[in-house]
Amino acid sequence: MPKDGLTLTTQHDPILPGLTALTSDAVRAATTLLSQAQATVKDRVSDGGRVVAALVDTHQGAAHGLAWLATVVESLRQMQNWADSLVAHGTFGKTEQLLQQLAFGEYLNQIIGGIPMNQTEFVRPQDMGLRAQDIAAFQTPAVMLLCQQGNTAPARMALVTALRHAQGSATFGASGLEDELEMIRDQFRRYAQEKVIPHAHQWHLDDSLIPMEIIEELSEMGVFGLTIPEEFGGLGLPKAAMVVVSEELSRGYVGVGSLGTRSEIAAELILCGGTDAQKAHWLPKLASGEILPTAVFTEPNTGSDLGALRTRAVKDGDDWRVTGNKTWITHAARTHVMTLLARTDPNTTDYRGLSMFLAEKIPGSDDTPFPTPGMTGGEIEVLGYRGMKEYELAFDGFHVKGENLLGGVEGQGFKQLMQTFESARIQTAARAIGVAQSALDLGLRYAEDRKQFGKSLIEFPRVADKLAMMAVEITVARQLTYHSAREKDQDRRCDLEAGMAKLLAARVAWASADNALQIHGGNGFALEYAISRVLCDARILNIFEGAAEIQAQVIARRLFELS
Amino acid sequence: MKILVPVKRVIDYNVKVRVKADGSGVDLANVKMSMNPFDEIAVEAALRLREAGQADEIVVVSIGVKQSQETLRTALAMGADRAILIEATTDVQTDIEPLAVAKLLAAVVAQEAPGLVICGKQAIDNDMNATGQMLSALLGWSQATFASELAIEGDSAIVTREVDGGLQTIKVSMPTIVTVDLRLNEPRYASLPNIMKAKKKPLDEKTPADYGVDVSPRLAVVKTVEPAGRKAGVKVGSVDELIAKLKDEAGVI
Repeated sequence: MPKDGLTLTTQHDPILPGLTALTSDAVRAATTLLSQAQATVKDRVSDGGRVVAALVDTHQGAAHGLAWLATVVESLRQMQNWADSLVAHGTFGKTEQLLQQLAFGEYLNQIIGGIPMNQTEFVRPQDMGLRAQDIAAFQTPAVMLLCQQGNTAPARMALVTALRHAQGSATFGASGLEDELEMIRDQFRRYAQEKVIPHAHQWHLDDSLIPMEIIEELSEMGVFGLTIPEEFGGLGLPKAAMVVVSEELSRGYVGVGSLGTRSEIAAELILCGGTDAQKAHWLPKLASGEILPTAVFTEPNTGSDLGALRTRAVKDGDDWRVTGNKTWITHAARTHVMTLLARTDPNTTDYRGLSMFLAEKIPGSDDTPFPTPGMTGGEIEVLGYRGMKEYELAFDGFHVKGENLLGGVEGQGFKQLMQTFESARIQTAARAIGVAQSALDLGLRYAEDRKQFGKSLIEFPRVADKLAMMAVEITVARQLTYHSAREKDQDRRCDLEAGMAKLLAARVAWASADNALQIHGGNGFALEYAISRVLCDARILNIFEGAAEIQAQVIARRLFELS
Repeated sequence: MKILVPVKRVIDYNVKVRVKADGSGVDLANVKMSMNPFDEIAVEAALRLREAGQADEIVVVSIGVKQSQETLRTALAMGADRAILIEATTDVQTDIEPLAVAKLLAAVVAQEAPGLVICGKQAIDNDMNATGQMLSALLGWSQATFASELAIEGDSAIVTREVDGGLQTIKVSMPTIVTVDLRLNEPRYASLPNIMKAKKKPLDEKTPADYGVDVSPRLAVVKTVEPAGRKAGVKVGSVDELIAKLKDEAGVI
């Protein structure tokens, strides 16, 4: 017997003949199964043909399970599109084939045996009311072959060999993106390698703000005006470019990759909901990085249930006075303007009475973080995702100019915010991919360098397997995210896809960080090693921009609408 | 003044280089390739001269496989004005030798008539350190190699060179060939607007035949081997033993 499976790879080609035909067939089978699950779960949560919110809550496990199943099926569909496009371009090489085969082998097995929503909650077909005959019908010869011979030890080992050979490459396997986007990736990757990675760990350990110098350099490179139209001083680039930039900067440090998020949300808010005057005034300043915005939505008692928020904005002549408490405000101190959501109609208790303000403030310093009258704040110490710092804020008669009511009409705030969710989720998925990739980079290097029992850790299959599955899942999350970005660029509704991309990428980031730390053994538990930070940074991704459970809920609701 | 900057597509400096199983060379299949880092410094030097008003056009040229287009696009994204690709081989494993490259560059110089050629002092793949000097000989131009500082004053270039034991400043008459060293500058990152502009900039595709140059190899690689791995050390018991070993075994004192 070959020892540790190492020599197996040279004996047989682990890639299945006719791979893309098999996977194409599997996508069809999975799509059928998904529509069956959609029907059974919808039936469970409906009364008289209408979906009832209380029933969705009662059957939350089934509803969220459906969301996860749909996410997995959409992932496979996008992997298939990626593979087909590479085949057409003659670039579906060995690495890409292994990624495709392992992704299908693993995810098809998960559909039958249980999809991990996290480490302990699995969704199984029977949870969604699927019957034995539904599963039997799903198990076509192609599905069975991929289940049995897709994700095998020799295939994983072959992939890891390919990863080792490809060290230094920007991505493992072709991304499938256009050349310009890959050139953008190269530039930002180089920037992150030279200017971010050497310092990121110390910024984290010191719990310090990312130096202004970095923000200035990113401004010069065009990061803050990336997707803002050219007529407003931006670059008018597609969301796909924003995704690549966010990925590579987050691969350096999630804090740096997230600097653009707030500008993205603010610009999107103003583009979708602002008046012409507001667009002309704010967008060029956001694009140049001259104005840094911060998003002020969450309150101590309203997180996911944002519609119930209580901060009040009261008319004061033509202007407004804001009173209330906000929390989890990222980068609150150093920024110039707040996109502030507050209740302008005191007779409401839900989303309908909310309005969005572009509330100007004076940027603070270390000594006086909140110099603006009517506003105080305190720092919230956090596990990871440092670099911009988190704050709780209190407003007491805080002055906002009348002209700074977004869109000039009251009561539109929640709707305006909803319009930004697609972009924000796509961008967050990209950040998660960057974090996952940095975990893979660190894990791979450590596994190569660290020797035990006379050989590198990477030569032990349990170590190599972890790296292989990281590379596979990162590829899957990438393709799902790129798909959402392309949909957004085509002006097609993509809340479903964007939510799925964020949901999956966040799980992948956490799994990658956790496994890369495991490869480090005890050293990974030491603050000295960068992977300890990446683990802390990865943890936020399942929480912010829609916690995994909320994300699943939103996806499920949309699936009920569509079925 | 027009500046010509030759750029080479080489194995990325982050890649762990592997020798091919048959020892014929370094394995370049599916390996990340980038612009030779010294050439990036050369492009940056040219950009700075243009920004200082001492040059008005920067032409970049690359000689090699078709994929060298990517390297040229990177130079265009950094700010070069136009590019010339001379596709001299279709095999990524084939390295065009310095003399052939210098002859092609001489032909390009004859057509383009630049006032200055700035090249990297060497390519990090084969470390030949020859092309700039050969080009100077072929053209009969002055040369200033290993530049760590570069200034144009009238019809001359003032170049500080890194030489053994210190720095040497020389003055060469223009037109001239300058080869640049590591410490000349820190190349910029291409900004997003410039990356988008790069695809619209002209890129001429040529072949060696267009210039009447024969690029067939004159050198034969006998073999390529990886450096020997580090051997295990020994612990010495005393300073005397250490001195004895350095004297008798290592022969360094």
